[in-house]
Amino acid sequence: MKSFELLTAYLKKNWPLYLTAVILIIASNGVQALLPQVLGKVTDGLKEGSLGQQGIIRYSLMLLTIAVSYGVLFGLGQFTIMRLGRRFEFLTRGKIFAQFSRLSEDYFSKQGTGKLLSYVMNDVTSVREAISFGMTQTTNAVFMVISCIVMMLITGIPASLMLVSICPLALIPFLVTYFGPRIRARSMAVQENLASMTESADEQIGGIRVTKTFAIEETARQRFGSTVENVRGAQLHLVRLSSLFQALLPFLGALSLAVSLIVGGYMTLQHRMTLGSFVALTFYLRMLTGPLQQIGNVINMMQRSGASLDRVNRLLAEVPSVRDRKSAVPLRSAGSIVFDHLSFSYPGSTDKALDDISFSIPEGHTVGLIGRTGSGKTTLAKLLLRIYEPPEGTITIGGQDITKLTLETLRRKIGYVPQDGFLFSTDIADNISFSDRSADMGQIRFAAEQALLLESVNSFPEGFETKLGERGVTLSGGQRQRASLARGLMKKPEFLILDDSMSAVDALTESGILGNLVKDRRGKTTLIIAHRISSVQHANEIIVLDEGRIVQRGTHEQLMQHPEGMYASLYRIQQEGLQHA
Amino acid sequence: MPNSASSAMQAEQAAKAQTQEKNRSYEAFKAVFAYAKPHRLTFIGIFFCALLGISADLLQPYLVKIAIDDHLAGGKTDFGFIAIIAGVYLGISIVSFIFTYLQNNLLQYAGQSIVARIRNDLFEHISKLSMSYFDKVHRGSLVTNVSSDTETISQFFTQVLLSLIRDGMTLILIIVFMFRLDPALAWYCLIALPVIGLVAFLFRRYLREAYQVTRSRLSRLIGFVAENLSGMGLIQAFRQEEEQTRRFNENNQSYWQGMMREVRANVLFNRTFDILGNVALVLVVWLGGMAVFHNQIEVGVLYAFTSYIRQFFQPINQITMQWNTFQSTIVSMDRIWKIFSTKPAVKEPEQASRRNLQLDTVQGKVDFNDISFGYSLSKPVIPHLDLHLASGEMVGIVGTTGAGKSTLISLLNRFYDVNNGSIEIDGTDIRDIPQHQLHRLVGLIQQEPYLFSGSVLDNVRLFQSDISREKVVDACRFVGAHDMIMRMPKGYDTPLYERGSGLSAGERQLISFARIMVFKPKILILDEATANLDSQTEQLVQNALQTVSRGRTTLVIAHRLSTVMHADRILVMKNGRAVEEGTHQELLKMHGYYEQLYNHARAEC
Repeated sequence: MKSFELLTAYLKKNWPLYLTAVILIIASNGVQALLPQVLGKVTDGLKEGSLGQQGIIRYSLMLLTIAVSYGVLFGLGQFTIMRLGRRFEFLTRGKIFAQFSRLSEDYFSKQGTGKLLSYVMNDVTSVREAISFGMTQTTNAVFMVISCIVMMLITGIPASLMLVSICPLALIPFLVTYFGPRIRARSMAVQENLASMTESADEQIGGIRVTKTFAIEETARQRFGSTVENVRGAQLHLVRLSSLFQALLPFLGALSLAVSLIVGGYMTLQHRMTLGSFVALTFYLRMLTGPLQQIGNVINMMQRSGASLDRVNRLLAEVPSVRDRKSAVPLRSAGSIVFDHLSFSYPGSTDKALDDISFSIPEGHTVGLIGRTGSGKTTLAKLLLRIYEPPEGTITIGGQDITKLTLETLRRKIGYVPQDGFLFSTDIADNISFSDRSADMGQIRFAAEQALLLESVNSFPEGFETKLGERGVTLSGGQRQRASLARGLMKKPEFLILDDSMSAVDALTESGILGNLVKDRRGKTTLIIAHRISSVQHANEIIVLDEGRIVQRGTHEQLMQHPEGMYASLYRIQQEGLQHA
Repeated sequence: MPNSASSAMQAEQAAKAQTQEKNRSYEAFKAVFAYAKPHRLTFIGIFFCALLGISADLLQPYLVKIAIDDHLAGGKTDFGFIAIIAGVYLGISIVSFIFTYLQNNLLQYAGQSIVARIRNDLFEHISKLSMSYFDKVHRGSLVTNVSSDTETISQFFTQVLLSLIRDGMTLILIIVFMFRLDPALAWYCLIALPVIGLVAFLFRRYLREAYQVTRSRLSRLIGFVAENLSGMGLIQAFRQEEEQTRRFNENNQSYWQGMMREVRANVLFNRTFDILGNVALVLVVWLGGMAVFHNQIEVGVLYAFTSYIRQFFQPINQITMQWNTFQSTIVSMDRIWKIFSTKPAVKEPEQASRRNLQLDTVQGKVDFNDISFGYSLSKPVIPHLDLHLASGEMVGIVGTTGAGKSTLISLLNRFYDVNNGSIEIDGTDIRDIPQHQLHRLVGLIQQEPYLFSGSVLDNVRLFQSDISREKVVDACRFVGAHDMIMRMPKGYDTPLYERGSGLSAGERQLISFARIMVFKPKILILDEATANLDSQTEQLVQNALQTVSRGRTTLVIAHRLSTVMHADRILVMKNGRAVEEGTHQELLKMHGYYEQLYNHARAEC
């Protein structure tokens, strides 16, 4: 079965260790099962007076040996298996992350971060539990039950007595498999209710300003209070079932002891067995409760982790939708970029995000791309980078069809500055030098200077070593975008794409950055995507996109000559406020 | 010797701080127990349930002992007696079963009720605190207090207390039984107790530390994956897959190592504990066997001892396991108590000076009388300001970031109190108006409107179900939000969330304007309400702004001049002072700071 591939491969590779561990555990069970028998013998010997002082010491030493060797053997076996399980977890996480880094954006957009994270955390952990706890407990339980039964027979406990005494205990695995999933469902409900209470607290505290300014504290309290009540309800619902289960297990143990007491007592009186055997029986019954419970647990766990294993396997088998072709060739040089009747729809959608786009960016030119939100500007950038795969032959770069190039060389030659200014929570220098982490400070400083970020960086006490994110400094939207810009410039790409990357930067700074760009990128190809006119008006050519189509093109001056055109009307809207004056 | 003197002083201070800390823990503890007080009777019930619940386990060895000594060993053939003992045991087991079940349910009931009340009270207390508190304390940490810290307290009641009652009693009763059976042997067994306790305690402490290390490494690992998933597009665009995978494996490795430390400690602890338990058993067999040999005790007593000594370990293990939970409970109680003991910085007016304003008769005249304010006294944000707004007047306030514009809002809303001077509404000092009334009187629209999770309808009327749907629809029509709302999949019943509700900034702003039309405050403050808007909705919002400000005294704070140009009067602020004042045209004629700002803004387009 393919779905077990991940697991079987690991087991196959490590079978000698697993075998050793299983043997250790079996040996420890065998040793432990001797304990009640020895206790029984001591009882008999003392009762009959056949046991001398030497005998007592001998038996005590025997018990000590049993105790220590059981502990050591079982400990070693358990540790080996747990270590193997953790190793599996470690390796699988690594595999999953590497797979994440290969998969394309369409996969991520379908799944959502929460679900993807749960692969790395929950699913892997659940499979690991199955192969470490599952393995230890199954081996332990099965062999413990077997050795107990064998020992009971050897001790001379009549089989009939054994059978009736064990009867109530035999119910335990069934109880566990019955209650297990039901209790789990209820405890999930508790977790969900706790989560929604936390969410509600977060929402109410986040909106405290609104709550206070409208003086509706009472309503906020009621809304939060109802989630608190739900948690309480769910907890009580859970405890009704779980406490029944918890009380039932010892009850069954007691039941079987009562049976053994009455039947065993009778048999002892009838001299069909010795008092020592009777004593041993009561100890064996106590020893059996644990393993029988474990068997039930393992069954429950296996069901859960089967599904997890399946999910992880499916993830690892996923083929990235954008990948190098077998015949892929390296990109020689960026040169000029040509779009030839490019139409594109996102996977699973029938609407055309781009419709019959044809234009070119001659080598060394700067082209501006302007349009409203949703007009297809960003899609175009994503296709250029092959974050989504464009139709064959519609985009060429330096004369080569981009779908036939290796991703490595294509993406290495293109610099991309996305709109959201996403930064990692490492330090500023590490973020700027993202394309080459071994770059020297001089280069990093220069890139920051180009993006007019240097002043902000210098204002932090730790300068370029300032940590970003949760445990560090939170940058403003404009600072984030400028850092992201510095990261793109750092790459010194032959072809640079700025995807609305100055939207949060104020106008004065924007014009400063544009001035630097014009100087620095003279003779290099640049595509500037924006919704602000000011960002593109200096470009060699401006393309106006609307609903995935090119509606206008020309230089700023040419476009402004058509007052009814979209470009001029955008210009007017953006000037609106000030025209009123 | 000044050095040693100062270090002595430091030591003294540290000691003082420590006793204070202890006192606070004590206070916190007392407070939580005050919550438990109403459930006194339940707790007494739980105690007796627990006693009956553990009876079967405890009496079993004793009963078997009677059976052995009185009958089986004696070779008597009275089967009836054995049957009675078995019957008694079965009866006790049933009692145990029922009362264990009852005890668990009662305990959970009491515990959950206590925690639910703490949660509600805590939230109520937090919602009463002044805005200054929320500026200082991080939202995330408050949420943690309300949810996780209270959950720890819940665990205290349901786990720690349960274990203390049940395991503690089991332990005590086992000891009692042992002494009744044979004091000499019982004393020997007691020697084992401190040894076991110490081993358990030390291991638990080590495990706790190891656990904390792995927890933090795990959260780092999760954080790393989450962040890299969000930035995956970027990683691929920059061809950094290998480098990031390498970094991931560093994190993964460090987590694995921490985990292995924990596993090793766990296995070692559990097996050591097993071995110790069995060593104690060996001791009992040896000493007890010798005693039987010398006819000091009977065989049955030895049986009972061997059984009890095996039962002895479970409760000790359980109790030490609870020690960790107990420690985190104390930390949580402290944190919660710290919030409970925080008093709101802005006080409600005293009964004597309290002035009630009728919402419908208020004119809306606002006076800032020679006020000054600073978050700390040494650094005034507003050194001096005198501003008077006539009823229904619209005043714009402009200035660069940090000029003190937003501080004015906080003062008018009484999020903070002025240091000097006074703020009056219709001649009444706002410090004399009950906060509830003041907040109804003064409406605030923020730069980033906050949406609650709930329908559009509830977001406009802020969950006040006494406000009719018609009233909400009218308000939305009024501000021009109706068409936009009707375009949503379920109209007014479309669910919204705080983030990602698919509404643009402008659309969200329209909803917050509709709120104003529903709640009708006499005075309105717009705080950068038109920043960050896209070209399409900006026009709608501008129109809505005109609509809502009609008939209201309005204070417009803006970065963009276009928003305030139509105001009756514009105040230009610089470093907390009003530097210029007048209409747009007047200000331009002054050729001053306002003109500079204006030209600067013009250059933007």
